[in-house]
Amino acid sequence: MITHELIERIEGEAVLDFKTDKNGRVQDAAIRFLHFRGMEAILEGRNALDALVITPRVCGICGHSHLITTVRMIENIYHNAGVLIRISDKAQSIRTVTLSCELIQNHIKWLYLVMLHESSKILGKEPAVALKALYISSAVNQLCALFSGQWPHSSYAIPGGVTCDPTHIEVMQALRILSDVERFIDDEVLGCSPEVFEQAMRDNKILSLKGDFGTVLRNFDTLGLLEKGKSHGRFLVLGEAEGVILNGVRNRTDITLVSEDISQTFEHGGKTYAKNALYQGEFYETGPLARALVQKRSGVSDLYRTYGDSALTRLCARVEEMVLLCTQVRQLLSSLDLSQPSFIPPPAIESISGSGVGILEAPRGSLIHRATIEKGKIISYSIITPTQWNLGNGIASNLGVAQRAMIGADTIAKASLIFRTFDVCSVCTTH
Amino acid sequence: MPSKPAKLRVIWLQGITCNGNTHSFLNDPDLERLLDSVAFIHHPILPCTKTLKELVKKLPKSDILIFEGAYRADFERVGVAMETLLSALASKTKHIIALGSCASFGGIFKEFSPEHISGILFDKEEERGPLKMMREKIILLSGCPAHPKWLSFVIEMIVAGKRILVDEYRRPKELYGYLVHNGCLRNEYFEWKVDSDTFGTKEGCLFYAQGCQGPYTHGSCNKILWNEVSSKTRAGTPCVGCTEPTFPKRDLFSTKTYMSIPAEMPLGIPKRSYLALAGAAKSFHIKRLEERLIDDNA
Repeated sequence: MITHELIERIEGEAVLDFKTDKNGRVQDAAIRFLHFRGMEAILEGRNALDALVITPRVCGICGHSHLITTVRMIENIYHNAGVLIRISDKAQSIRTVTLSCELIQNHIKWLYLVMLHESSKILGKEPAVALKALYISSAVNQLCALFSGQWPHSSYAIPGGVTCDPTHIEVMQALRILSDVERFIDDEVLGCSPEVFEQAMRDNKILSLKGDFGTVLRNFDTLGLLEKGKSHGRFLVLGEAEGVILNGVRNRTDITLVSEDISQTFEHGGKTYAKNALYQGEFYETGPLARALVQKRSGVSDLYRTYGDSALTRLCARVEEMVLLCTQVRQLLSSLDLSQPSFIPPPAIESISGSGVGILEAPRGSLIHRATIEKGKIISYSIITPTQWNLGNGIASNLGVAQRAMIGADTIAKASLIFRTFDVCSVCTTH
Repeated sequence: MPSKPAKLRVIWLQGITCNGNTHSFLNDPDLERLLDSVAFIHHPILPCTKTLKELVKKLPKSDILIFEGAYRADFERVGVAMETLLSALASKTKHIIALGSCASFGGIFKEFSPEHISGILFDKEEERGPLKMMREKIILLSGCPAHPKWLSFVIEMIVAGKRILVDEYRRPKELYGYLVHNGCLRNEYFEWKVDSDTFGTKEGCLFYAQGCQGPYTHGSCNKILWNEVSSKTRAGTPCVGCTEPTFPKRDLFSTKTYMSIPAEMPLGIPKRSYLALAGAAKSFHIKRLEERLIDDNA
């Protein structure tokens, strides 16, 4: 039997076409995205710096990642044109702080608005609005805005640095907000300290976590899904701390091995606007789980050894990343040297012609922007988003990551919940 | 004891969007109190009484319809074209809010197909959107995104039954009567025509070279601060004019000049007046305004 299931309450919507057997078990699943906005075409012909304003509008929840990727890409174009671009440590740290904020707020919203909500709903106990989660994610965004001016849709990162020139007033306020966020994670998300959480992952005792994350895991356990959702076990990190894992072996990545497959798109007789992103011609999982494994972070790696790339490991990786990012943001804020310049002016963009690439680890995984410019004007622009890796739509002999994870689920509802563990974003996928 | 008034029923519908207004709205620290007076029949992310599928099937009545994103007649949600869906929901509601610049004027997404994509009431400056027959019940909250407090203000005014004064684009005057320039921390540099010759400093005005559109962009960004703490210009970023029907213009990080005078004047200021004042201001060298605001940042 074929069922078309509309997946809502993600960023936009997706349609899943399920093929089920007579018991309702999922035998095949196709992933389709039906909205397209033409971001790349909108960018062409414009001044390259305009991309700093346009690309954040790819996505309302991860637009800051697009901004930082764009600025890296333009800096790479300068570099490839033989112009040395210098960025102060201060500017670099501030960029990392604001980007990390975007990941943290994303993971909080995903955990509460999607995972806690949807897993409870299937069990017949739909929770009320998670106001405490929204309150704390807005606090994280406020921390970001102390430097970026606003969230969402800031354009404060420009080739050569950042536009802001913060004082200790902003830094101290940022540290205060961070303390609130850390307390929220300890008291509400985990119900314990990060150290106890880390130990619980190592000792395989995470089901006893008292916080809301524990509730999510127990919901998954009740549904029999904790060890479901396994996929290829291939992982890719192209941005910071890059690496690729194939057959359990970790290697350096090579950006030239990235390709896009357009065979499933409407234009080529398919049923979706999404292009598949491939590495060496294969689907790879990207995002928090890939990052944790490539970086050999102990707790998540321990879970992976026991449970593979199941829902349990994938869920834990996102939560563990949130904890880790808070620690990193604290370190960066505490060591900011405000006497350094925020911005070191590069030559005018109008003097630059050439191509470049910007790569970054966004909330959902590796994000790539590429462009060619001629005397500062964009000739062509190409974006590959993280969800193109994870939510690719393959064929039976070569299934996409989330596709494979859903096959074999007892019911369509459970398969859909597995789908959501990948943190689905429709607006990014098709852009 | 007086009974609690019924909550206003709100539908949040999306056209061609990035979800930026949705996430901006979720930043509202007063969301809890707002939810005391409104209930979402449908919202793309928050818990609500009807899924999108049910919404499209039932087309329920509402008190407020919030539309986020640009309009295109054949753009579909759950297989129903906006042409049908938006007009059906719009005719069954009392108030319509065009939230963000896409819903207001077409915004960034209009650029992809300018002849087919518009706002719901305006298409750039022209009032020829699909809901032009319902103009009296439409309020525009332009901005990319709109500030969450602009939205909660309009909802509170509706709840309180008060009349909202609007400008020529049906934007609340109390929000859009100001310019982004008002309240900018760099105003003194503007007055004395002290240019910020680079990005990344606290000093100098961004209007003369860096492309700042604050002096002719309507919006209370420097009165009702973003995320309660800042704004583009406070973070040293030029205003990109995102609340205006002309958004997005081109060459956003440089000021178009004519004989080294900004080509576009501060709103309503005749060029002659501007030149007279600028000439006088520039003839003085004010040492304090040419120095760093804080000597040693270490």
